Amino acid sequence: MIRRVVAVAQNTFKEAVRDKVLYILVIFALCLLLSSYVIAPLALGEGGKILRDLGLSLVPLFGLAIVVILGTALVYKEMERRTIYILVSKPLRRWEFLLGKYLGLLLVLAVVALLMTLFFYGVLYWFYGGGEARLLWGIWMSFLELAVIAAVAIFFSSLSSPTLSAVFTLAIYVAGHWTQDLRAFSAKLPGSGLKGLGTFFYYALPNLEFFNVKNDVVHGIAVNPSHALWALGYAVLYSSALLALASAIYERKSFK
Amino acid sequence: MPQVVLRTESLCKKYQTHFWSKIKVALHDLNLEVNSGEVFGFLGPNGAGKTTSIKAIFHIVRPTTGRAYIFGKDVGRHPGVLAKVGFLPENPYFYDHLKGTEFLDTCARLFGMSKPERRRRIAELLGLVGLEDSGDVQLRKYSKGMLQRIGLAQALVNNPDLVILDEPLTGLDPLGRKQVKDLILSLKEQGRTVFFSSHILPDVEMLCDRVGIIWQGRLVKTGRLDQLLSEKVESVELTVDSLEQKFRPEVSSLAAKTVERDDKLMLTFGDQPAADKALKLCLERGGRVVSFIPQRRSLEQVFLEEVKP
Repeated sequence: MIRRVVAVAQNTFKEAVRDKVLYILVIFALCLLLSSYVIAPLALGEGGKILRDLGLSLVPLFGLAIVVILGTALVYKEMERRTIYILVSKPLRRWEFLLGKYLGLLLVLAVVALLMTLFFYGVLYWFYGGGEARLLWGIWMSFLELAVIAAVAIFFSSLSSPTLSAVFTLAIYVAGHWTQDLRAFSAKLPGSGLKGLGTFFYYALPNLEFFNVKNDVVHGIAVNPSHALWALGYAVLYSSALLALASAIYERKSFK
Repeated sequence: MPQVVLRTESLCKKYQTHFWSKIKVALHDLNLEVNSGEVFGFLGPNGAGKTTSIKAIFHIVRPTTGRAYIFGKDVGRHPGVLAKVGFLPENPYFYDHLKGTEFLDTCARLFGMSKPERRRRIAELLGLVGLEDSGDVQLRKYSKGMLQRIGLAQALVNNPDLVILDEPLTGLDPLGRKQVKDLILSLKEQGRTVFFSSHILPDVEMLCDRVGIIWQGRLVKTGRLDQLLSEKVESVELTVDSLEQKFRPEVSSLAAKTVERDDKLMLTFGDQPAADKALKLCLERGGRVVSFIPQRRSLEQVFLEEVKP
């Protein structure tokens, strides 16, 4: 089972890397470098903080771009191009296929995040003599957030077209950052039905603000390791549940 | 009694594009058996249901009703049985950015093959399909014929006992077609079972032991090729030489058509008994038999008769 999942994951990774997805790194590098040159003379001594804030915002933003561009088409492309016929006619379970696709996407995100982090620290070193290790917490939490969004993208990609999947994934990303407000808002709604609906969405949508520790790490506040551990558990559980749901639906699917 | 390798039991597929649109039956109660070691040709015009049948067997499309059994196991419940099967889809598409060897390696890994085993098998297969110089080229640079060949290679990566090929001869040049035909025959020699769909009838006639003809989603005819064709002896042609003039009317009276050329007499008979009688008569009267050929119907004629609209 593991061999088959790894084979699909590696296949996905190779295809993505050769499909020029890593070009996104060049854009990241240019954005960061350009911003650094612009910020330095204008920031009145706060340039270091601004650059740290910017770097920690750009890493998840570019990761999100990869998820939307690559992840939302990942499964659909296999059905559209009929490469899925080759795979499902072999002793590969459909859930193994979806898991392999997801892990392949995670591998792409991990490599891209690693390279962006290295470049980020390089720029910090170049302009401000170096960056603190605590910034890594921020990047790690962003990666966990991306892992959840990647599962959302794979879920939609197995059900609908890339354009719709991209719209749904972005909608979930935005809504996922507003779940606390959604809860507060639904508490004020009249009627138990509406309240219940609000509560349902609060629990069903991913709580992405849980992964947001950017302000803390930029301002030197240490991240609680137990919070990071909970975040890991939450990301694993949420992604697993979503992939299980996608697999259950995918299991019944006919490929035309 | 030959072992049944592939069996379908009332396999049926209905489609409905939208809930308001009409239900279309793509496949009606397909009951089919393919025996161990035989080459089975699945014939039908475009849109007859050949590909749908194959996809339903593999559960690529979920059958609406019915079951497909491979080596006695229900494919829907025991997908593990696919470890013994190789499959080439129609007009196969592959991963553009993977090299030929990488693609085959991915396929081999899905069967749990070890690294040395995979390396050996991939080199062997690339040689078998004539792509030994193109293994390190990305698949997007392959021609249509090369893609068909790499498709065949992936279908054989696990040394399957049953090989199912959907239109394997489509898109190939004459040389490529000959290679595929030789490959099918060599698989048969190795004792493997081959099930392939095609509408290139002379190739089917040359390769198959048994055929099934599908038309409008229904299996309209199955049988051994020699039986299907011998059932349909159209006429018999007899050519004799050196038969004296005085005996010729007697022999000609049995024939439906007679042509005399030089010293030769060419006779056409509408049925086998008349031809047998004339043959005996010619020999008794001192004629020399040049040829005696039962004219059977070609598979194409049988096929056209079955799929008449």
